[in-house]
Amino acid sequence: MASSGADRGKARLVVALGAAAVVAVPLVIGGYHLHLLIMAAIFAILAASLGLVIGYAGLLSLGHVAFFGIGAYTSALLFLKFGISMWWGLLAAAALSSVMAFLLGALILRVRGNRFVIVTVAFAEIMRLIAHNWVDLTRGQMGLPGILPPKIAFLGIDFNDKASFYYLVVVIAFLCIWMLSRIARSPLGWGFLAVRENETLGESVGVSAYRHAMAVFVVGAFFAGIAGSLYAHYINFIAPDLFYFSYTTILLVMVVMGGLGTIAGPVIGALVFTLVPEYLRVASEYRLVFFGAILIVGILFVPRGLIELWERALRALPARVRELMARG
Amino acid sequence: MLETIAQYAFNGLVFGANYALIGIGLTLIFGVMNLANFAHGQFYMLGGFLAYMLVVKLGVNYFAALPLAVLAVAALGWLLERTVFIRLRDRSPMTGVLATIGLAILLESGALLTWGPQPESIPNPLSPMPIEIGPLFITPMRLFVLGVTVVFLLGLYAFMNHTRTGTAMRATFQNRDAAALVGVDIDRLYAVTFALGAGLAALAGVLLGSLFLVHPTMGDSATLKAFIVVILGGLGSVIGSAVGGLILGMAESFGTMVSSAWKDAIGFILVIVILLYRPDGLFRR
Repeated sequence: MASSGADRGKARLVVALGAAAVVAVPLVIGGYHLHLLIMAAIFAILAASLGLVIGYAGLLSLGHVAFFGIGAYTSALLFLKFGISMWWGLLAAAALSSVMAFLLGALILRVRGNRFVIVTVAFAEIMRLIAHNWVDLTRGQMGLPGILPPKIAFLGIDFNDKASFYYLVVVIAFLCIWMLSRIARSPLGWGFLAVRENETLGESVGVSAYRHAMAVFVVGAFFAGIAGSLYAHYINFIAPDLFYFSYTTILLVMVVMGGLGTIAGPVIGALVFTLVPEYLRVASEYRLVFFGAILIVGILFVPRGLIELWERALRALPARVRELMARG
Repeated sequence: MLETIAQYAFNGLVFGANYALIGIGLTLIFGVMNLANFAHGQFYMLGGFLAYMLVVKLGVNYFAALPLAVLAVAALGWLLERTVFIRLRDRSPMTGVLATIGLAILLESGALLTWGPQPESIPNPLSPMPIEIGPLFITPMRLFVLGVTVVFLLGLYAFMNHTRTGTAMRATFQNRDAAALVGVDIDRLYAVTFALGAGLAALAGVLLGSLFLVHPTMGDSATLKAFIVVILGGLGSVIGSAVGGLILGMAESFGTMVSSAWKDAIGFILVIVILLYRPDGLFRR
């Protein structure tokens, strides 16, 4: 491996260029394009956390959107009723989402499999009903308007400005995704794999499947809560339709097509499936048809998602081009 | 007061019998194919809409449109099993579930594009005037719906217990490999099961759609109700689904006496109670 030093240098260069591009983006683009990037970053947190639950632990949670919604409502209500800013709201959102995940997990994680899948859907629907029917608290279908972004008073920064919020959300998303990938590679993360791959074997070497399933479920909800808080304070308005199953479907497309069993995959999936439908001018009424078709076709023909698609595309290239790319 | 209770009980029976139809379809697919079908409610929706199209756009007689719509959805189910689900059979159960979720969203958004978001009613030739039976006032259509549902439930029971295919289904419920070993044609059985399950959901869609309205997004809540029924009864238990359907129908009907806004939450509360005290459902398979 004589070239490993050069490779590392190249990798550093790529990271530095990438970071520079991320920082420079608001200088170049604005308005709607920036809005899409902010949404993509929020979805990246959500998809990466669901990727840990589905891809690593093999728990097909279809209620992840509920923890997103719980986070959004927690943060929004704290702001609107008590004037508590997003800084604390974010933490409270993460905490309450985790607690709800723990309670739900205690009910259903002892027996996993199909019943787990179904009950997670039901859980999201219960949360939607509460947001819809508890009008005194949530204003029901009218939703909650006026959820403002935070400020840093002594520096004079107001995140009401789109470019500032972009930097904020990128930093938080980066931290979240970094933590998620650290967790995935930690001994705890190996325990998650044991839940997915072979429970009996795992139990025999002392990995409690129940505890690890619970841990991954709570961690996933924690980050979903953060994403929900960011969403509420960015869009300034939330309503019970946050809990709709269509969001779950879009998330599944991001996670599954991004690549199961990785953290980078769902992040890339979130970017691709937030941005591409917009720029392909897929009108919103066709978007769900598009996502449904992608999910079926993807599962049938490219089970490892975009990563597999990329590898296949590379293999399809003529040998000469590949050689040139390898030389860089 | 007694009249009111009887009226609610009758409504609960009509709904419950239809929930049983949807639930049994779902549990058959689950029991035979080990597949949690999240597109089940969309078959229910398609049944309703095809009947609407046949009656309103093509002028077909209601009583002919009913079996035609059901057969069309069953054929679609057969086709989907042959083209999509057959390829996922040996992969992890999660991929099958994901495919049904993709299918659900495809069918629902496709229906929205085709028929638009407004609800439609399926016209039927029966008189809308209620007839008085004892303490009850019942429209002929409700009586027809209940009658057809009960006939189908009894027919299913006979089918499961007295035909070769039904026996093969029950055998596959218990042990797929052993069933294949003694000569059950698994390929054929899977296709038949998926078609039958889809057809039962479509039947419920036409029947309930004739009492109320059909709209493209009615599938989602039907899927959830079907799963509630199946969890109540026990995953893979046909009798359990029948009983679970009746329990849910009754509970919802009487629940509306208390609060109509929270009516849809009743099923979930039942599920939580069942999971706490009898996690395998009322009837173990």
